[in-house]
Amino acid sequence: MTSLAITSPKPAARLDRFSLGLLGAGALLFAAVLVYGGYLLTVMQLAMIYGIFCLGLNFFMGYTGQASFGQNAFACIGGYGSAILCVQYNWEPALALIASMGVAGIAALVIGYPTLRLRGHYLAMATFALGLITYDISVQWTSLTQGYMGYAGIPPLGIGSLTVEDERLKLLCLGGLLLVGFWISQRLRDSRFGRGLRAISGSENGAAALGIRISRFKLIAFVIAGLYASAAGSLFAHTVGFISPEVFGPQMVIVTFTMLYIGGVGTLIGPVVGAIVASLLPEIFRSTGRFQDIAYALVLLLMLIYAPKGLSALGALFRPRKDKGEA
Amino acid sequence: MALLKVKGLTKRFGGLLANNEIDLEVPQGSLFAVIGPNGAGKTTFFSMISGFLNSTSGSIAFDGRDTTRMRQDQIAAMGLIRTFQLVQLFKGMSVAENVEVGCHLATRGGVAAALLRPSWFRRQEAEVHERARELLDFVGLGAQADLDAELLPYGQQRLLEVARALASRPRLLLLDEPAAGLNTQETDGLAHIIEKINRQGTTVLLIEHDVGLVTRIAHRIAVLDFGRKIAEGTPDEIKVHPEVIAAYLGVEEAAYA
Amino acid sequence: MPSAVELVQSLVNGVGIGLIYGLVAIGFCVIYNASGIVNFAQGVFVMLGGMFAHTLLTQFGLPIYVSAVLSTILVAGIGVLVQIAIINPMWRRKAPLFAIILATLAIQLLIEQVVILTLGDQPRTYPEFTSGGPLKIGPIAIGYQLFWVLGCGALMVFALTQFFNRTRMGRALRACSQNREAAALLGIPVERMLIVSFALSAALGAAAGILITPTQYTAYSVGGPFGINGFIAAIIGGFGSAPAALVGGIFLGVIQSGAIVFFGAGFKNIVALTVLLIVLLFFPSGLFAGRAKSA
Repeated sequence: MTSLAITSPKPAARLDRFSLGLLGAGALLFAAVLVYGGYLLTVMQLAMIYGIFCLGLNFFMGYTGQASFGQNAFACIGGYGSAILCVQYNWEPALALIASMGVAGIAALVIGYPTLRLRGHYLAMATFALGLITYDISVQWTSLTQGYMGYAGIPPLGIGSLTVEDERLKLLCLGGLLLVGFWISQRLRDSRFGRGLRAISGSENGAAALGIRISRFKLIAFVIAGLYASAAGSLFAHTVGFISPEVFGPQMVIVTFTMLYIGGVGTLIGPVVGAIVASLLPEIFRSTGRFQDIAYALVLLLMLIYAPKGLSALGALFRPRKDKGEA
Repeated sequence: MALLKVKGLTKRFGGLLANNEIDLEVPQGSLFAVIGPNGAGKTTFFSMISGFLNSTSGSIAFDGRDTTRMRQDQIAAMGLIRTFQLVQLFKGMSVAENVEVGCHLATRGGVAAALLRPSWFRRQEAEVHERARELLDFVGLGAQADLDAELLPYGQQRLLEVARALASRPRLLLLDEPAAGLNTQETDGLAHIIEKINRQGTTVLLIEHDVGLVTRIAHRIAVLDFGRKIAEGTPDEIKVHPEVIAAYLGVEEAAYA
Repeated sequence: MPSAVELVQSLVNGVGIGLIYGLVAIGFCVIYNASGIVNFAQGVFVMLGGMFAHTLLTQFGLPIYVSAVLSTILVAGIGVLVQIAIINPMWRRKAPLFAIILATLAIQLLIEQVVILTLGDQPRTYPEFTSGGPLKIGPIAIGYQLFWVLGCGALMVFALTQFFNRTRMGRALRACSQNREAAALLGIPVERMLIVSFALSAALGAAAGILITPTQYTAYSVGGPFGINGFIAAIIGGFGSAPAALVGGIFLGVIQSGAIVFFGAGFKNIVALTVLLIVLLFFPSGLFAGRAKSA
């Protein structure tokens, strides 16, 4: 089995031409939507938010090679944190976002410490349970979360009196935040820390033999993923202005995984490309309404079977395979 | 002075006594080998020294400190680095990146440094890339640096693992059957590299099946059989040791004949 | 503080639902032991069992026993389909564990949506197999359906044990569970065994769904909770033998119905999932460890 190698000798230029092309195509789509406006603005806004979520997921799933089917729990903390702090206590949205991230980070630390000792199916199920518990709490703890009703009237993001109300401006801001998230992801990946994470995904024994503290690295990756997820949850709340338990329900797991798989798990650009593609694709057959979920599930299944490495890996098809001959 | 001192090391798997009261002292700067037929308990012995397996009883001291109950990464941090009989490459990373991971212990900096990239961190990253190149050249994989590590032929994967281990500047290098699966030519190249590593000041402890290789390069050899140490001495002493010939060499020779 | 009567009643209810969890748990174990795969879509079979039985009963006017048997067979067929169309191709490509888990989650979503489209999203139920009841023992009421669950559950566990111990195919399946490579070398068609395991597992789930629907209801969305609770039961039982899984299910059912009495119905999932986390973290090979397998 070959695997993708988006690597080149110089650390500064880790992206090959195909990946750059994909990113460029994403940027073009972004610009087109910005000009075209209308309903697609909302779709693209959500794509940016999901992109941030997936960037975090990619830290844990992609770089470190661990499974978490419960990242929606941290998005839920972020979303409700923002909603409650802003609506009930009139906090500044930006402050609420950061405070929620703090809570989510601590939660990830406390939960991850015992949970990450598990492996394989057990880790998958424990994290999945985490997401479900959070969902149930958001439904049941009505005094805090208002149950199924959810929260409406969450103020948009802004600093002081400067709030971002215009949809185009919102999209631009979210695009900017996604870029920041991407930049952080790139910096961390191409560093001593990032190499450690990827080594764990390659071989835990090999990594431990070189002095890498496996459990600590996994935990840090889990916390980073939680922070990203929480930020995404908060941004959703501030962008849409409304949240309910359903927003962060188990289907969020499927949606975000589809994105990650479409883009390419473990690749640098995968989360961003996947989020944009997977968000826009359903719009093509949007009139189908109910079929949207079916289309998602089918696309995910087909990807899992026939293209488990995602779009970013297609680059390998266009690359001269000097390596193949030598192998 | 002994860099590694093992006393009465015992490992019991259920009813099986995999290692039985093994004593061993590896002097600083030596090229030491442990040989023995398959199933003699060599890999078990290695796993305990490197912290991948807890011993049933006995003690291990590295550089004068008791490491018997330490985790593998703590032992590695003290400068005891091992390779694996079944190569443990980092899949999805290039050959050069594999070696860069090896620099982990020789470098510092976590998330904050990676984000802020202070000048010392940038310098260190540059050094890491350079060192990876040097080590790949050293083991003769310089031309393959940018390949996906998985695509290397088997023999080169072993060399890569050696280069990766060297990257952490080990004080004691544990090589677990490095010649397994290599052809004669590759084995010769490997022997040359191991000798060079040792001459540059790294103590080497080698587990090997290939008696020819070991008697050629090792300064001192210990022989395990059925979990017990049955002999220890210079290669010349070992070659004529009656118990060794009976338990191991004779069988092997017969098998190879 | 709940009264003694309430407690005993909740115990009875807990045993009833726990048996169902147990059956789902056995379904998990059958696939897991044959293939090393945990089919997270197991709950969907439970949902389909109830839905199909209801449709056959009301749309086609078939008697309940015929509907039950037909529904079980249909669901087993869907299990086979899932295995052939999705799991097997991934299995052959040596897809990583997480990809397969994700695929089974996607299958669940897919089937649920198809059910909404074809059968609608309204909850439905049908009468108990035996009319009359409930049986009154003092103030405690035991619905007749509980006896059906008990009887059918015992019968199925017995039949399954016989199948694994007495038949050629059952023994082949057990060989797969011990060592797939060795089984393949011995000439056991491993892929066909996986198909059999999916069929069996789907049938077990369907039977559970058919049995429980009269006392509750069924709808496209009930698969998730049944799947999760079945999985928890399997974990408690240690993914080992069928009786252990059944006991794990009853254990969970009783805890859950106790939680309903003490905290209210909204907390039954939270309690179940907490039990899961506790078992995973502190008893990773099940509460009755010993014969259990590690993952």
